[in-house]
Amino acid sequence: MTDTAHRPAAAGPPRLEMQGIAKRYGGVRAIRHADITVRPGTVHALVGENGAGKSTLIKILSGAEQADEGTIAIDGSPVSIGATTDAIALGVQTVYQEPQLFPELTVAENFFVGREITRGPAIDWRAQAPRMLELLDTVGLDRGLASQPLGSLSIAKQQQVSIAKALLEQASILILDEPSAILTDAEIEVLFGVVRRLAADGVSIIYISHRLDELFRIADEVTIMRDGETVSSQPIGELTVREIAERMVGGAISEGHHEDREHGEPVLELESLSLDGAFEDVTLTLRAGEVVGLYGLVGSGAAEVGEVVYGMRRATSGRLRAVGDDRHPASPSAAKRRGIRMVPANRASQGSFSFQPIAFNITVGSLGLLGKAPGWVSPRAERRISDDLIRRLAVKTPSGRQPIGAMSGGNAQKVVLARQIVEQPKLLVLAEPTQGVDVGAKEEIHRIVADLAERGTAVLVITTDLAEVQRIADRILVFRAGRVARELPPTASQASLLAAAAGAIDDEPTPMPGTTEEAA
Amino acid sequence: MTATAPAPAPASASGQVSLRRILPPVVTGQELVLLGVLVVLWVLLGIFTPAFLTPGSIGPLLVQVAPIALIGVGMTFVIITAGIDVSVAATIMVSAVVTARVLVAADVPAVLAVLLAIAIGALLGTVNGVLIAYGRVHPIIITFGTANLFQWLGLRVFDSSTVNGIPGTLDFFGRGAAGSTLGVPHSFAIAVVAVAVAWWFLRYAKAGRNLYAIGGNQNAARLAGIKVQPRLVWVYGITGALAGLAACMIIATGTSSLDQSVGSGKELQVIAAVVIGGTSILGGRGSVVGTMLGALLVQTVVSGVTQLGWPTQLGFLFVGICILIAVGTDLIRERARRRA
Repeated sequence: MTDTAHRPAAAGPPRLEMQGIAKRYGGVRAIRHADITVRPGTVHALVGENGAGKSTLIKILSGAEQADEGTIAIDGSPVSIGATTDAIALGVQTVYQEPQLFPELTVAENFFVGREITRGPAIDWRAQAPRMLELLDTVGLDRGLASQPLGSLSIAKQQQVSIAKALLEQASILILDEPSAILTDAEIEVLFGVVRRLAADGVSIIYISHRLDELFRIADEVTIMRDGETVSSQPIGELTVREIAERMVGGAISEGHHEDREHGEPVLELESLSLDGAFEDVTLTLRAGEVVGLYGLVGSGAAEVGEVVYGMRRATSGRLRAVGDDRHPASPSAAKRRGIRMVPANRASQGSFSFQPIAFNITVGSLGLLGKAPGWVSPRAERRISDDLIRRLAVKTPSGRQPIGAMSGGNAQKVVLARQIVEQPKLLVLAEPTQGVDVGAKEEIHRIVADLAERGTAVLVITTDLAEVQRIADRILVFRAGRVARELPPTASQASLLAAAAGAIDDEPTPMPGTTEEAA
Repeated sequence: MTATAPAPAPASASGQVSLRRILPPVVTGQELVLLGVLVVLWVLLGIFTPAFLTPGSIGPLLVQVAPIALIGVGMTFVIITAGIDVSVAATIMVSAVVTARVLVAADVPAVLAVLLAIAIGALLGTVNGVLIAYGRVHPIIITFGTANLFQWLGLRVFDSSTVNGIPGTLDFFGRGAAGSTLGVPHSFAIAVVAVAVAWWFLRYAKAGRNLYAIGGNQNAARLAGIKVQPRLVWVYGITGALAGLAACMIIATGTSSLDQSVGSGKELQVIAAVVIGGTSILGGRGSVVGTMLGALLVQTVVSGVTQLGWPTQLGFLFVGICILIAVGTDLIRERARRRA
């Protein structure tokens, strides 16, 4: 099509050069200093922990945000990207993690939605057909799928449609944001085939992923971000998974403070527990007063273990013994009767009644305690119990009558947590307990969890937050692809944990952890 | 014109692709099932009540179906965008009473009366559309509110009495000899034309296809560059306008007087026809051909029960069962898809 340089790196200017990019939101510096150079026809991986600044960098490139400082050049000429339409005009296309597609429309229609070629009021399918077939071929979809409703396709095929849609208009830079997070291994192969074909056609691809092992099979180069800075950028062959993980976390030392507690009787015992399509062969023992962390990347299967323990889903095989009962909990209410409580990850939709006052939100799960007679709810008892917990958890609110919907994320999370500990639970399952919560509230929630364990509650913490699992867990089971990859103490380095979760083949730490130098 | 040049070589190489391979099938399974049910019902009714399959019976049935199917076209658009309009009965009432009063007061020609009725309906529909598109409140709340408001407006115009002595200006839409040509009622013919135009629009026009996108995923539709809000205003406006035209048919098929119950219950009949016709109440899927078949089915069941001499309340029972079956299959299909 245009002047696509084939492979030779030195020839011609880079496809994309972003230099000295900085961005702050209010007082928070999302990006301090970022440089990235992407050559034509290469796959460039962008990695970093949550909050390292990679999504902000992508937003700046795709025009969703504007940088405070720095320059962007495409094919050697400086450009300014003030809006998403500018980015698209410059050939920058983005495929977001959440596909923006229409399940009831056909595959072909999804390509063209909003950008249809028309003749009068009608869509001119004869004019659109050649481009449509070209797109289907480019992403490796069968031509017969054109007339299928999108909703009838597998997730992987829908993702191919997403990519094809992004290619409708001339794309020279394609950003793929975590494209593999929801795919199976076989589906990832198909995705890689598409990515390689596009790169061979001269498209530059920026590939964001948390699965470090797969990057070695698809990426040519890798840029690593940490705390708002790009710490290194080089051909991926020069690094190992272990080294990438170390640079991502910066060799930070764990700040866990663990006094050894006496643990009591086993409260939860899992033996070769499996749930088809989620996790396999999980074995673990959790004792009273113990905090066990299940750490894994999104989609690792750890989240589903919590759902099975709380009776939200039914395991396919294996043994589950919880609070002295060998039967699998059949429902959340069955689990509750045994003294199992859970704080779900998605608290906005699963955890809170946003128009109701705080007091209602705290006591809604324990109305049986509030009445003098069955079925009768005493407002005075509700006040007493909720005021007590508001004090204990240091919820910042003028009174228990405020609606929870008006509170900050951290306070709302404390209220949701409060509901589960009105009665001291025997077993508490916490899923992402501090996601989207500010640092202060995070600290307090961790203190509350430690306090509960002190009083004899067995706590299962499921999290994708590395620092969090180290801080509050007594033991950490690292999940990868539905299996327990390793069991590590909280004193293990972040690099080891991340490497285990992201799929390092080598577990040997490199001699010089942490520090990095530009190797451009 | 440019196509005559040899330039678009790749296009002609793959240009053999027919439209049938790109667009969804012309007739859906649900429409075929409905058509089958309808044919079976008509045959059975023909056998058990020989009077059913005569022009004297079918004609009035089609006249009854016409306003339902006509408003059903607009309602299908509305429900495809994941909305609903429960104010159409009140719109009919306002449009009908104002038009009837004007007909009584002055000797206006039919065309003018029809245009007036349509304009009133379009105005009320646009009010709905603006509130829904820009107020961002669920359509059922908005139209429930405006339904009461329109009702009040209509009752004010009635001024607590019936409108009497309406002249036969609108007999073109009526049951009488002036209301049909070669045995086909004009009102039903108009409804068929409306369905045909809407079918083409929903299948081939950009604006029509975009309605499905809006109903399927409104946010994604906005990101794809579809002007969601103007489209919603338009959709509710059209529904109101069609309700206005339907009001003319209702005036014409009644006696020379109009009472305050005019239009009442029509919104539920229209929604029933749309839902039975296979349009998903969740939005994103639906067809006007299905709506026409749904309207025919509902009216056939109601008339059939009467003609068989059965208690009329059985009509409600059968229509209710049809709705539950239609909504049930839709929800089951949706859940199966989510699980997949």
